[in-house]
Amino acid sequence: MTVAWILRRARRQSPSARRTLWAAAGSFLILGLVSGATILGLRATRSWMSTVDHGVHVIAFLRDEMEPDQAAQLVDLLRRRPGVARVRLVEPAEALARLRGAARPLPATGSWLDDLEPGYFPRSIEVALVSSADLPQRATELSRRLRGLAAVAEVDAMTEGVARLEAWVRFGQRLGWAVVLAAGIAALSFLVSTVLRGREARRRQAQVLVILGETAGKIRLPANIALAAAGLTGALAALVVLRLAWPALLTAVERTLGIVATPVVVSLGFWESAVCLLTAPMIGWVLGYLSTPVHGVVDA
Amino acid sequence: MIWLEGVSYLRAGSPALGDVTLGVSRGELVVVHGPTGSGKSSLLAVAAGVRAPNSGAVWIADRNIAGLQASSLPYVRRNVGYLPPSPLLIPDETVLENIMLALAVRGEPIDSAEADARETLAMVADSAWENRLARSLSTGQQRLVALARALVGPPPLVVVDEPASGMGGDDREGIARALVWARERGCAVLCATSDPSFAEMLVDAGGRQVHLEGGRITGAPAIGLVPAPVDSVDMRTPGGFASPFGPPPATPTPLASLGLAIPPAMVRGEQSSPAPHATSDAEPEKTESAETIGLSDRRSTGEESS
Repeated sequence: MTVAWILRRARRQSPSARRTLWAAAGSFLILGLVSGATILGLRATRSWMSTVDHGVHVIAFLRDEMEPDQAAQLVDLLRRRPGVARVRLVEPAEALARLRGAARPLPATGSWLDDLEPGYFPRSIEVALVSSADLPQRATELSRRLRGLAAVAEVDAMTEGVARLEAWVRFGQRLGWAVVLAAGIAALSFLVSTVLRGREARRRQAQVLVILGETAGKIRLPANIALAAAGLTGALAALVVLRLAWPALLTAVERTLGIVATPVVVSLGFWESAVCLLTAPMIGWVLGYLSTPVHGVVDA
Repeated sequence: MIWLEGVSYLRAGSPALGDVTLGVSRGELVVVHGPTGSGKSSLLAVAAGVRAPNSGAVWIADRNIAGLQASSLPYVRRNVGYLPPSPLLIPDETVLENIMLALAVRGEPIDSAEADARETLAMVADSAWENRLARSLSTGQQRLVALARALVGPPPLVVVDEPASGMGGDDREGIARALVWARERGCAVLCATSDPSFAEMLVDAGGRQVHLEGGRITGAPAIGLVPAPVDSVDMRTPGGFASPFGPPPATPTPLASLGLAIPPAMVRGEQSSPAPHATSDAEPEKTESAETIGLSDRRSTGEESS
């Protein structure tokens, strides 16, 4: 059968065959969305986790009589401690500016914030610890040591909050994996059942073509090409949908969870997209091959 | 055109054909008649290259297709117009598309294929059916469409299994006319039927009858005359389809003066070497094998076997 004949037959295929192809393309779209959302979701979660890990775990409020160079010495000492990731000296003016920035969106704050003096807050040191399983214990230990210093008025350990947030993120990851796995299996099952539903019709067609003298390769070719095209269409659509919808979804999630927006890459990279665009047609080709029985159809 | 020599075939372990020898030349119509279960369908499936014999040789245009690789058989089958016992059509395609499919496989241009398919449909059935889906037809109508598909072209070899099964008088006459039409265009036509009146109708139209019983040919000789000149048909290469041949001469000619498309190797009892095209000076030797298949009498008298 020549290319002209194959194209003519593709154009004249039955409505049920067309429905099967659209359903297959839809299945590929769902598979692509699930896979892409998994990759992007993991990337976002990792970013949120790193935000939490690199956040401030301990804040030491210094006494007013402490001189700036003494504070700088303390900062330097803390930086040398093992397990400390970052130490930052926060001046009273910066602390006040942060408060004003955070409270501005809140209703009924009035103008009292503007009336606060620049030295309203004491000078403080923010300490971020290296993330590990014993982070809460290390944070508690550091807080205890800082409280023993005469220059330190008060210590705020964020241990409990950090541990709780980490637990939530881990739970969310596990839940996400379960949902992704279930959605992936459902989409794959739908794809396979859709394609195999047309198997009997293709078997009949193969019987006719075998008797008429068509080669096995050319009997399978239309199904191979059609399902590969369905795979490519589904994968392309999934990439477009992810590109358009993911940033909005991510923003909504971050707003709902109260997470500060992180510089997460909001679309799949070149190689990830290329793998998606190559894998889907290959799966379609293989499904087309498997769903078109050729050998032994005449004797059956 | 086709020559089956010593063909045996087992169906599900039971012998369906036993040492069958049968030849059909170009421009010849052979009617295989026999009761249900006599092995007619097995014989025709083997002749059409759809089933492989367990032993023996099946020569089609110089090639023993029993010795071909499975991957080569499609190139043989596309030169055979085969009507299986049950009319296999693609139910979701139109009648015209089903008929055109045979020409599509042979690589015919679409426009000429469409015209040929219309012409054959009009000859065998009703041209008003062309846009109907195959699944909307009755079994008898499907059989007629499948017959049209077997005849379209027409191919060098036409193998039809019970074409008139369950058909009424007009349809039977139409089918007989279509088979004669194919024969007149130089096709070798092999038709099986269990219906004695239909077999008689074909014999009256110039066919040669062969009786098959218990998987063996009984009574009449298995080979007839060659009324048409032998042309070359190249089935060995993809796309090597050759059109059928000119009409047969009005008067049957003695076998010896025309040459028979029987491989000389067959006559000599050799099976392995490919057979050259028979020519008028390639007269087979008169041997024990030749006598066994009833050649010697007709060679001397020139009578029609039927």
